[in-house]
Amino acid sequence: MSHEAVLLVLVFCPVLGAFALPLLGAASEKLRNVAALLMVVVSFVCSLALLGPVGRGQTVTVTFSFAPGFGLFHADMLAVFMAMVSTLVGSIIVFYSWDYISHYKERNEYYLMVVLFLGSMMGLVFARNLIFLYLFWEITALACWRLIGFFRDRTAVVRADKAFLVTVFGALMMLIGFILIYNQTGSFDYGVIKERLKVDPLPNVAAILILFGILSKSATLPLHTWLPDAGVAPSPVTALLHAAVLVKIGVYVFARLFVATFTVDPVWHQAVPIIAGASAIVAAGAALIETDIKRIIAYSTISQIGFIFLGLATGNPMGVAGGLVYILMHGLAKGGLFLCAGIVEQNTKVKDITKMGGLVKTMPVTAIAFLLCSFSVMGIPPFGGFFGKYMVITGAVNNGQVAIALTFLVGAFLTIIYLMRLFNLVFLGDLKIDAREKSPAMVASVAALAALSLVAGIFFSYPSSLAQTAVAQMLGTGVPR
Amino acid sequence: MSGDFLTMLLLVLVPVVAGVVCLALRKETLWIKEAVAVVAVIADLAITLSIYNKDLMETAKWGGFGLDFSLRVYGLSGFMLLVTAVMAALIAVYSTAFMRGRGRLNLFYFYFLVTVAFTNGALLADNLVVMLFFWEGLLAALFGFIAMGGRGAYKTAIKSFIIVGVADLCMMVGIGITGLLAGSLRMSEISLQVNSLGAAAAFILLMIGAISKGGSMPFHSWIPDAAVDAPLPFMAIGPAALEKLLGIYFLARVSLDLYKLDHGHWLSYLMMIVGAVGILLAVLMALVQKDYKKLLSFHAISQVGYMILGIGTAVPVGIVGGIFHMVNNVIYKSCLFLTGGACEKQAGATDLGRLGGLRAKMPITFVCFWIAAFSISGVPPFNGFFSKELVYDGALERHWIFYLAALVGSFFTAASFLKLGHAAYHDKLAADNQKVKEAPAAMLFPMVFLAALCVVFGLGNAIPLKFIEPVLGGHGAEGARHSFSGLPSNMLLVVMTLVVLAAAVANHFYGARKTGRGLGAVDHIHHAPVISGVYQRAERRYFDPYEFGMRVARVISRIAWGVDRFVDWIYDGLAVKAATGLSRAVRFCHDGAYTTYLVWALAGVVVMVLYVLV
Repeated sequence: MSHEAVLLVLVFCPVLGAFALPLLGAASEKLRNVAALLMVVVSFVCSLALLGPVGRGQTVTVTFSFAPGFGLFHADMLAVFMAMVSTLVGSIIVFYSWDYISHYKERNEYYLMVVLFLGSMMGLVFARNLIFLYLFWEITALACWRLIGFFRDRTAVVRADKAFLVTVFGALMMLIGFILIYNQTGSFDYGVIKERLKVDPLPNVAAILILFGILSKSATLPLHTWLPDAGVAPSPVTALLHAAVLVKIGVYVFARLFVATFTVDPVWHQAVPIIAGASAIVAAGAALIETDIKRIIAYSTISQIGFIFLGLATGNPMGVAGGLVYILMHGLAKGGLFLCAGIVEQNTKVKDITKMGGLVKTMPVTAIAFLLCSFSVMGIPPFGGFFGKYMVITGAVNNGQVAIALTFLVGAFLTIIYLMRLFNLVFLGDLKIDAREKSPAMVASVAALAALSLVAGIFFSYPSSLAQTAVAQMLGTGVPR
Repeated sequence: MSGDFLTMLLLVLVPVVAGVVCLALRKETLWIKEAVAVVAVIADLAITLSIYNKDLMETAKWGGFGLDFSLRVYGLSGFMLLVTAVMAALIAVYSTAFMRGRGRLNLFYFYFLVTVAFTNGALLADNLVVMLFFWEGLLAALFGFIAMGGRGAYKTAIKSFIIVGVADLCMMVGIGITGLLAGSLRMSEISLQVNSLGAAAAFILLMIGAISKGGSMPFHSWIPDAAVDAPLPFMAIGPAALEKLLGIYFLARVSLDLYKLDHGHWLSYLMMIVGAVGILLAVLMALVQKDYKKLLSFHAISQVGYMILGIGTAVPVGIVGGIFHMVNNVIYKSCLFLTGGACEKQAGATDLGRLGGLRAKMPITFVCFWIAAFSISGVPPFNGFFSKELVYDGALERHWIFYLAALVGSFFTAASFLKLGHAAYHDKLAADNQKVKEAPAAMLFPMVFLAALCVVFGLGNAIPLKFIEPVLGGHGAEGARHSFSGLPSNMLLVVMTLVVLAAAVANHFYGARKTGRGLGAVDHIHHAPVISGVYQRAERRYFDPYEFGMRVARVISRIAWGVDRFVDWIYDGLAVKAATGLSRAVRFCHDGAYTTYLVWALAGVVVMVLYVLV
């Protein structure tokens, strides 16, 4: 199979396959579950297959034969790296869903939306032009709307509407930005835009509009409060939103457009870290006050996304690579945290951490997985999160932004404190609710994510080499020593 | 991969693999976990012996961006590895007896071996990030070690984790700045001056990491809590030995190799102030403790002050003294904790009120205790005396006030050990302790070995100093004029020390006679006017920097929460109100009456006509 074909399978297997899932579900629950997992795994395997050529410095582009110069899909290391992270975490989340979601109704819709969500993320990641980017962006918003409102009670529906309205409002702003770019460059194709903007940089109005869309999708201050509210969704969905797909879309598009494609005013190298820093601190502070387990982890995501933005916005190889590494490590660890929260919340039937305690005695594997994933989010070696945090902060230091680095240091302090508080209240102390971890599949999923967080840290040279290649392609520089 | 690289890597891998094996042995096995641990630490010792006096440097590719996996053994780090290996072996042997019969031994040995492995890794690392990787990696083991203690130990574990974690993050930024300034992350290639704001910031951040690992004030407050909650071998291997060793080793590297700190520099004064204040405050807290382990833990904090003071003087004699004092402290402080463990195991208590008269029942422990206590108090000819004299010499060379602080610290150190020894081993034998026996051989051997080292490193102080003196590097020319080993060169200082020790003894007898028991020997100081009020507040944790830090964090989070709620109100309140208000206004315009619509249509036409005409 040619590389182009692999790329098309990677995107369309989940995007189109998703619509077959309800039909399969009518025939057999099991068949549908396996098929859903397989579709995501196929994408993961395809992204691994693309790693070979892309790792050697090649890129794979799919174009219309009648419209040369207008690329449809394009695979470089950044896209493949992102796809790998999303589909890896996504696969584990779908596997976890087998048990979790079996307790609820509307399962066919659930799998349809989840696989479509992941598939459209793939479309977005590999898109070669702004039109496809926007198209897949909005499909994810739709899928996300149904999934957040999965339980259909009034709160869930209102929260789903809030998420939808905020992100779509952002997307429409972004669309205006895209049109401005088209007016200036005469093309939607990344390659053409990149060349034309080199001569004539992106106007700041367009930058603000596009950034608006990005920040709304990645739930960054002041467009962030829909994300904690989205905690009403089933836990695998929140894991998907936080770790694998939704918030990473904004971050990815920032990397793709602001770092790899556009030539922007240097002011954004200052402004974005400041926004990200404010977001990191405000969200971390809120996480320390909040008492709902899923909302705390959601605030944690907002805070950590700030770190990723910081890395990418520095524009230097160390910082950008740090941002990419952070995406991977955060995806693994945050996915693990949410899935652990799912086990806790499904079995204890409460979300308020002040009513929990001592669960380490009855849920030992979940507790340990939660702790290990927390270590990774805090940036404690030998877990992978350490490298992300080090590289991102050093990236800022390398730009001479020591004040920004110190701001993020405060964010990192707060991260340690709120995660320890969370672990303490949920798992330590006296047992208040005697609930056990019932499902081996769910426990295995969180254990796998915790183990991956550790392995990614110990064998850091592998993810690092991918990030280095990606950065070299994005910045058009050689790989530094 | 070269043989040398593999040998160095084995120092990390052997304990880690053995630790994982222990972790997997969850069932009650009679002795397999103990055997695996002991074999691993002996293998570690054997490997260390084969390389500790060599000069090795190997590099492997790792993370890119200067993040190469470079390891190095040279004079000082080789010696530190040797100390680590010896301490690990002794405490592993001790633990086989001390921990017997307790639960979750698989976890205990796992944490123990991981601690040894990561300490080795941090000592071997030449690349700063590799060092940080192992250094900060110790956090996870620290948390587990303390959390496995008794009921409620998890609170202490969390406190420790937060304090040390925060300091380690500071170090991370320090390393980032240092790497930027030097253009390299390899310690062997870095040699900077502290001549800019960035360099000073980096120095302070690195120093925070180093001294917090060493357990210095103001990053100390978890140690006394851990002394009560964590299993005792943790105290002996962690805060007493390996953490101090790592912290002071790195502090020396920072102020000698990475940055060349001159003795006129303000950072040198900062270090000396931190050291001197730490000595005094911690020793004053140690003085009034009524628990064997807690008293020792405050000395673990106080003693690190001497080391920081010594290195902070930035004069050769002080630096050598500071590092030598660290090595000595590892020996006598571990020995003291082990004697505390022996009392805990055999007499079932560490509360000094419940001990007493153990001299007759545990004679070997008793002798070991006094040797180590003399060492820490700076009594000649034990090792602590020689290193303290070097620190005094350095401090006096800088300013008499620092010397005075160190000397006053010595007075209280001696006073508190006289109290401890008197209360635990002399006084009257408690009724409960009639049947107490001497500790088993596996616990006695490490104590005796360490006590013997106190003598050997005292009388034969040239042996350790041979490894320490070369660290002077840039200060070598100045240092060459000094002779550090043998008897102290300044006899006046020795006389002063002896006077202070005599004063401590006199004070002890005064207090003991007044209250009629050893435990009350310092009550006249504890309950003195003004001082007693300060002590009461300190015991209520008024001065705990951790509590202060957490209050600051709470304030930040309250403000952040306010911002967050305000932003949310914009969506949930303002936006909704604006939308409903708008729709109401628009609905008002659509009342269903033809006349209204006609008026609107006419108004529209007028506007259009005006637009076209004007």
